[in-house]
Amino acid sequence: MIRLLRFLEISRKQWLWMVAGIVLGVAVIAANTLLMAVSGWFIASMAVSGSSGVAFNYFFPSAGIRFLAIARTVGRYAERLVTHEATFRILAELRVWLFKRFEPLSPACLERYAGGDVAGRLRADVDALETLYLKIFAPLAVGIISIAAALVFLAWFSPPSALIMLLFLLLAGIGLPLVVRSLSEEPGRRSAVLAAELRNSVTEGLQGVEELILLGAIERQAVVVDNLSAGVIREQERLGRINALSLAGMSLFAGAGVAAVLLTGSMQVAAQQIPPPNLVMLLLFSAAIFEAAGLLPAALLMLPAARESADRVFELADAPIPVPDNPLSGEMPADNGICFTNVSASYLPGRPVLRDISLTVPTGGSLVLTGSSGVGKSLLLEILLRFRNYEGSITVGGVEIRDLSKETLLGMIAAVPQHPHLFNGSIRDNIMLGNPSADEQLVLQALSDSCLDAWVAGLPSGLDTAVGVGGSAVSGGEARRIALARALLKDVPILLLDEPTEGLDAATEREVVARLNRRLRTTRDTTVLVVSHRPACLGLGDTVLRL
Amino acid sequence: MTELPEDGDDGDSSTRRDNSAEQWLFAEARKIRRPLFYILGLSVAIGLLVVAQAYQLASACQRVVMQGEGVSSVLPLAGLLVLLAAGRALCTYLLETTSARAAASVKRSVRSQLYRKLQSLGPAGLAGNETGPLIETVTRGVDELEPYFTRFLPQLFLAALLPSMFLVILVPFEWRSGLVLLFSAPCIPLFMILIGRGSESLHRRQWGRLSRMAGHLLDLVQGLPDLIIFGAAKKEATVVARVSEEYRVATMAVLRVAFLSAFTLEFFATVGTAVVAVIIGFRLLWGVVTLREGLFVLLMAPEFYLPLRNLGLSYHARMQGVAAAERIAPLLAKPLPEGFAGTLIPPAGPPAIIFEGVSFRYGANRGGISDVDLELPAGSITALAGESGAGKSTLARLLVGLARPESGRILVNGQDLKMLEPDCWRSMLAWVPQAPFFTSGTVRENLCLGRPDADEGQICMALEAAVAGEIIGCLPHGLDTVLGDRGAGLSGGELKRLALARAYLCQATLLVLDEPTAGLDPENERLVLAALERVTRDRTVLIISHREQTLACAERVAEMVAGRLERVVSPTVFLSSCEVAA
Repeated sequence: MIRLLRFLEISRKQWLWMVAGIVLGVAVIAANTLLMAVSGWFIASMAVSGSSGVAFNYFFPSAGIRFLAIARTVGRYAERLVTHEATFRILAELRVWLFKRFEPLSPACLERYAGGDVAGRLRADVDALETLYLKIFAPLAVGIISIAAALVFLAWFSPPSALIMLLFLLLAGIGLPLVVRSLSEEPGRRSAVLAAELRNSVTEGLQGVEELILLGAIERQAVVVDNLSAGVIREQERLGRINALSLAGMSLFAGAGVAAVLLTGSMQVAAQQIPPPNLVMLLLFSAAIFEAAGLLPAALLMLPAARESADRVFELADAPIPVPDNPLSGEMPADNGICFTNVSASYLPGRPVLRDISLTVPTGGSLVLTGSSGVGKSLLLEILLRFRNYEGSITVGGVEIRDLSKETLLGMIAAVPQHPHLFNGSIRDNIMLGNPSADEQLVLQALSDSCLDAWVAGLPSGLDTAVGVGGSAVSGGEARRIALARALLKDVPILLLDEPTEGLDAATEREVVARLNRRLRTTRDTTVLVVSHRPACLGLGDTVLRL
Repeated sequence: MTELPEDGDDGDSSTRRDNSAEQWLFAEARKIRRPLFYILGLSVAIGLLVVAQAYQLASACQRVVMQGEGVSSVLPLAGLLVLLAAGRALCTYLLETTSARAAASVKRSVRSQLYRKLQSLGPAGLAGNETGPLIETVTRGVDELEPYFTRFLPQLFLAALLPSMFLVILVPFEWRSGLVLLFSAPCIPLFMILIGRGSESLHRRQWGRLSRMAGHLLDLVQGLPDLIIFGAAKKEATVVARVSEEYRVATMAVLRVAFLSAFTLEFFATVGTAVVAVIIGFRLLWGVVTLREGLFVLLMAPEFYLPLRNLGLSYHARMQGVAAAERIAPLLAKPLPEGFAGTLIPPAGPPAIIFEGVSFRYGANRGGISDVDLELPAGSITALAGESGAGKSTLARLLVGLARPESGRILVNGQDLKMLEPDCWRSMLAWVPQAPFFTSGTVRENLCLGRPDADEGQICMALEAAVAGEIIGCLPHGLDTVLGDRGAGLSGGELKRLALARAYLCQATLLVLDEPTAGLDPENERLVLAALERVTRDRTVLIISHREQTLACAERVAEMVAGRLERVVSPTVFLSSCEVAA
């Protein structure tokens, strides 16, 4: 719970909206229950007055009914708007906070998040936090405050009825959700596991459909899918039955609660402790207040998952910064030469990948690193980018890169990483990231140097074509060349390329290498470090080093 | 239920409001007719129990308030009320479990049908569909059908059935209040439809933008390394703030209209109830009706509107179900690709293949082959060379029968490939594609995909032939190592050799190998090729490759240029001409 409260701390600037949403929520429930109470009392009094002939001032209650009816309707609309407004304001605060926290952690800490399913898990976790107020905090607060207020109201007129209702509301609002939660824990967990397995085998079945057909294995795969599907659905059905239990319990407690109030109320009427019309008021009020109790189960059921999400997100956000920056360093490299001396590094502590590497690339020199996969070629580039720590010494222009500020160091380097990310925007947006102030001429030059010019020219919207989420609308080879164009546009003295031609066919690969060489020849003092296992890329360096 | 737009949903789904999806849903509903009737029956029973509860409560009030009777007189009524509540709880439980069961049977059968259909459509029938969305449809899409059958459909009938039933019961007690209810009821769906349309079109216009803004943070976090490299990470925090702000403004504009429909519903229901309360009040004052009758009508007024409100709330369930059906129904209705209905049994022994004027195109300008004439004599090794995109892989896919030529034909020992029984043809060939597929199961499972009955000795022989024995030796659990998501850290070249072993294990008489030596170092390439020559005796072989060593071991090299067969020459001639060109 403390983690969840910390979430309130982050979004504290929006407290007014949050409180307003809860106040409106309580007001709507109050209007609704009072509407029923006043209506009941009103018609009972009218009936008593009609039969006894004692005059009854109906002006006030009938005006009250009209007022409450409108208050409830308008209030509900306002409440939904305000709670959503609050949610989106919180979302904005939260996103900025998360982004600022995540930024120095990337990529070394981020990639370990939730066992590697960063995209899927983080989306769900951030979603859970973003709707925490709307789906959990606000309903819980509104429900608890309304129930407390309702019990005070009841106690004012009839203390025994209030006691009885306390019991039934606790049963319906707290007891029932707790039972449901413990019942659904196991099927919920199993259905999540089975759903993941189902997804996995559907993915395999469809991605590998050609080979499965040719290997005569499709029917076997279909049976696997059917069995997993039946398993998932069985657990879902079990969850449905638990939900049925909860709904049934709710209607039982509501009906029994009203019956109990009927008894206590009529006892008080018989004892002349309350006027007879108040009995009707108490009954209708009690029936209506279960609406407030109904807010609690859904929120309570979501609470554990939200807490887990919060735990994961905060644990990540609080992780120590893996590669500390040295922002105040005034050191400036003298030139663009790179020198590794006895460098060791690893992805995970205790499992060294690079051991005692020494190499030198002079200013304007170019080196291609090759070697089988897993020897740490990409890691070597990542430590140069200060994504990960290293032991030994790495200097750029004679200065140890630990002693440089990241801003100075990265200001000199452009890179195509192992898995470049395309942002959901246009091709132009993605390339301009390299240099937001570049003019059209420079962009076109970068396009042509990365062999994209013909492809872009053939697209109906040209550079403004959207690349889709994570580059899903372009092919892998196109994405890599967009990343290459982005790096070339940055136009800085050091260029790092990790498999720049991955996903390209041989002809395009040759063309890309040729054009890159032409470009690099015109800018003589760019230092280039290429990592590749493709023979065509060997031509990019004046030296080749096999790790 | 949140109103936040979810990214990942299909943006067009609401634009194409064609009826075929809803027709398909109705057809599926007909299959679960019996449980649906059961659900309706239980709902009516619950409605009657509600009427009884209200009447008993009103009677109790009549006795205590008007007749001054004591607790002893209402005690049986209170007992009855508890019984009625228990009955209602029981019916609710039965109704919900029936719904869950009905939904389960729909989901099970639709998913099974859909998955099998996708498999039998195969690559030829699914051309143009991305795999990602298909997987999403088979898994989450099918689950999303559930609320349509369990919430929306029953509510649709109940919204008509229950209010009329209540009205019939109420009118004899108080026809004036009945009139108020009768005339206010139709306003609710009317206004909700009007407002619903407005908000839907507003949402549709904004959809793309909204979903992009919804996924903005995640997009940036995933691309953080790139942002850091380009020095944009620090200033991107202000962009996050700005986009979140725009997201709020845009979404709230949509929500302000969307919430109006709930507002209308509440408005009519609440005002209707309030008017009924006032009418009854005066009827009571004038002594025309008893408190029992008046209170009963007042208690029933909110119940009268409840089914309409529930229908309004289940609108989201309908949208979700229709959106899912719009993705599922067209896939189920897709015709199976033609040309896969042959019945002839191909002869045993290595086949002789002849391509006769074969053409195939993927689409407007995405490669393919045209007018290819090529002969692969029985038991020969032919290499296929040419630049990427020249049509080599297309030719291979046509040969293994994953697609059919648009024109021309492929003859197998003189018989048209189309006339052969597809499964028989497939059982006599083995194919290693450019990027071989592996399941996340064990190495053994993957090797035995084509021959589940293969024994240890056969597996070992196949592995030796593919120079893959040492790979297995290095794995922690040997053949029983789980490959997992990324192939347990095996390199592309190692996976390629496992795929070769799998192909050798098939004991096929036709081998089609697409870049079998890509990703191998020269030494391993030499070993693989040496073994290949042993394995390919008595088999017809087609090897696609760029690599000199590999081409050299073929008997003939066929070169393709831009979808056409340029020439068929001996490897020596081909390689020497390449050197000249280089």
